Amino acid sequence: MTVGTVKLKIDNVEVAVPEGTTILEAAKSNGIDIPTLCNLEGLSGYGGCRLCMVEIHGSPKLFAACVTPVGMGMEVITQSDKLREYRKMAIQFILSERTHICAVCVANNACELQKLANDLGVDHVMFEREWTRLPVDSTHDFLVLDRNRCILCTRCLRVCDEIEGVHTLDLKMRGKDAQVIIDLDEDWANSSSCTSCRKCAKVCPVGAIYVESVALEETKDKGIAEFVLSRRNRK
Amino acid sequence: MKEIVINPITRIEGHAKVVIHLNDDASVRDARFQVTDFRGFEKFCEGRPYYEMPSITSRSCGICPVSHLLASVKACDQIVAVNVPTTAVLLRRLMHMGQIIQSHALNFFHLSAPDFLLGMDADPATRNIFGLIAKEPEIARQGIRLRKFGQEIIENVAGKKIHSSEWVVPGGAKWPLTKQRADYLLSNLPEALTITLKTIAMFKEWLSSCTEEVETYGDFPSLYMGLVTADGGLELYDGNLRIVDNDGKTAVDHVNPDKYYDDIGEAVEPYSYMKFPYYKPLGYPDGMYRVGPLARLNVCSHCDTPLADQELKEFKKLGKNGIVQSTFHYHYARLIEALFCVEKTKELLSDPEILSERVCRRVYVNNYEGVGIAEAPRGTLIHHYKVDPQGMIQKVNMIIATEHNNLAYNKAVTQVAQKYVKAESLQEGMLNRVEAVIRSFDPCLSCATHAVGQMPLEVQLIDSHGKLLDRKIRSPL
Amino acid sequence: MTSTSKVRVATVWLSGCSGCHMSFLDQDEALIDLAQQIQLVYSPIMDVKVFPENVDVTLIEGAVANEDQEELLKFARERTKILISLGDCAVTGNVPGLRNGITNSADAVLKRAFVETADMNPQIPTDVPTLLPKALPLHEVVKVDFYIPGCPPPADLINWVISRLMRGLPVNMEGRSKFG
Repeated sequence: MTVGTVKLKIDNVEVAVPEGTTILEAAKSNGIDIPTLCNLEGLSGYGGCRLCMVEIHGSPKLFAACVTPVGMGMEVITQSDKLREYRKMAIQFILSERTHICAVCVANNACELQKLANDLGVDHVMFEREWTRLPVDSTHDFLVLDRNRCILCTRCLRVCDEIEGVHTLDLKMRGKDAQVIIDLDEDWANSSSCTSCRKCAKVCPVGAIYVESVALEETKDKGIAEFVLSRRNRK
Repeated sequence: MKEIVINPITRIEGHAKVVIHLNDDASVRDARFQVTDFRGFEKFCEGRPYYEMPSITSRSCGICPVSHLLASVKACDQIVAVNVPTTAVLLRRLMHMGQIIQSHALNFFHLSAPDFLLGMDADPATRNIFGLIAKEPEIARQGIRLRKFGQEIIENVAGKKIHSSEWVVPGGAKWPLTKQRADYLLSNLPEALTITLKTIAMFKEWLSSCTEEVETYGDFPSLYMGLVTADGGLELYDGNLRIVDNDGKTAVDHVNPDKYYDDIGEAVEPYSYMKFPYYKPLGYPDGMYRVGPLARLNVCSHCDTPLADQELKEFKKLGKNGIVQSTFHYHYARLIEALFCVEKTKELLSDPEILSERVCRRVYVNNYEGVGIAEAPRGTLIHHYKVDPQGMIQKVNMIIATEHNNLAYNKAVTQVAQKYVKAESLQEGMLNRVEAVIRSFDPCLSCATHAVGQMPLEVQLIDSHGKLLDRKIRSPL
Repeated sequence: MTSTSKVRVATVWLSGCSGCHMSFLDQDEALIDLAQQIQLVYSPIMDVKVFPENVDVTLIEGAVANEDQEELLKFARERTKILISLGDCAVTGNVPGLRNGITNSADAVLKRAFVETADMNPQIPTDVPTLLPKALPLHEVVKVDFYIPGCPPPADLINWVISRLMRGLPVNMEGRSKFG
């Protein structure tokens, strides 16, 4: 069975990609940059952060590029004033939840959320902030989970399940109150499934999961999932 | 009873007001220095990991963030119980020298010099750094350059001029100093030294003409506290606490800073967000002591740099038994300290060990309590933390340089008010002198309480039944 | 000093650490050039006690944490054309906002500092401005025209914004400023 080719326009550029490709992948492979936060190469799509929203000609609603497959003849817009405002608002929603204080965060200057806010010109948050004071789990030998900084992108859950294969991490509760839990909501030190592989800390875009007393730029590795997959699939 | 209110006190690092209570015959009964804002660090840090404390507490103060970073990281060093690499200690000391140079330059040139050089009775609209730039451009430029030198030391060591909290980590420092940066700082050093020496000479000349200020600016006996080296020399980063009395007798010596609470208690008054520390053996409020440049020069026996030591000898002649008691001499003491720091900067940068690459240890929690202490520009700064086995903060106590002086402020303000304030005629110069005495202490209220809150200067006359007799708001220009 | 042609600038300091004011002073020699173009009419680094009329640009540092500050902020807003939130405390609440997640935060922070850690006369001060329940960013209290984030914002960024405003040019922060 051969995979067909789909032709579409992205920002008025004709592109051709294999069937089943997402708009995000199609844009990326043609050098068009769409901002993302929850997406990571090598992990399944999630569509949680709403930063990669794009316009599709003929539809009034916006689509998350990371989970929308391409269609024949689609005309996709990735940059417009409407989208810029929308993305700025998405960043502000994320910043208004929990307690994001860049100045005193371990991730300061190495944080994807902070960088996106800067790139998009988000200079304040129009919504009232939540100011959570959730306890920090520092029981593990070297991994720390600070839920006050978690943006619920679930990269850690996906890398733990899909790449490491142990599914130690999951979520409890719903909506903005959802929280990352370890096994059946234990302290990290008591986890029977965690292999201490650090992949969660490597992929966390912010300062929510990190390796204690190691500089974040030394820990972070956005390519880890793709790298492991490439080794795993060696014939 | 009548009262006069000065609000806000300006050109100090923070905001406060002074309330002067008058007797029925309009003479001054007493004066209170009130601090009007508060942020609550000691509470909201609870539950945070200990290694975040340097960056959080740095935000107590934008003028002496380095002192907070260092007091905090030293408390954390005790929690992780490691020996900090020599090079990291040298670099932290170097950074601290930069801090004190910039802060002293700021106080002298940006905040106090307008009084000396433009005159106490000059128009308030121009009696500030911009007025100084207009009238004495060369002196203003030198002040700006000296402060810049201090700020650039911090920036070159730790990556940022203000709140360089990423570099300061428990167990050492984040990255080493490059030779290029060290050479850059060394190349600017001669100019800094020249400016400092010139300023001291200028100030001494000016000092001879202000005997009146010296005698009325908080000229009273008290205890003095500061850190000293093992052989009693001036020390700003480490060492032991020494408290001396006004006759130059040592009350306590070689106190391990970890045991500060054996000697220092804290009291509260309903009219201020700043606590009142006191020396426990003498009780409250008799246990009044002073900290900061004047106190440090009073408690130490020498400076281990040649030029500052020479100045110190001359300075000590101003008092009996080597104890200089007029608050006005804080200005002079600050300049001597700035000189000491410039000389120390050269010494540190010339140490071959300072360029070593080994600046940090891997750390984890080994103790559940730590005390960090440093001499901030304004005096002894204490950070005291307790953590749980995971390193989460359980309790925080901070005693800030400016707080130690709280009892002395009230005394000094009362003294000036008694001499200068006459309720029948409130003149700019008089009220300004009340403010100037506070300015000579160089209080950092941002640190002490995170004090701000400005309202118009309002003078209230209140009779003994609490009835408002008269109310005057000073026009702005 | 003539004041007719100069831009009238005020700086205000609410619940912050003064770091933003220090960063303003970190413009160093550029202050000398700035002095030719602006007239500082109200600031903690000068002696004017009352926020004046007809201010062109006001830079405000710090969160709004007590009643006095709220009053002053509203007063400054009435008298100024362009009001700027300077630094993270003014922009987001930042570190002073860390108390906001505590139940009855004002009481809790005061109790810790003035009752639990006091050896003598433990009491919560009363003859002082009352703390607000939360330390707020400025724009939750008044209309704000521009925001300069950063802890503190770098001196050259402050300089850039002021000089753009003085020349009547647009101020776009994309890629220029960052929180923290």
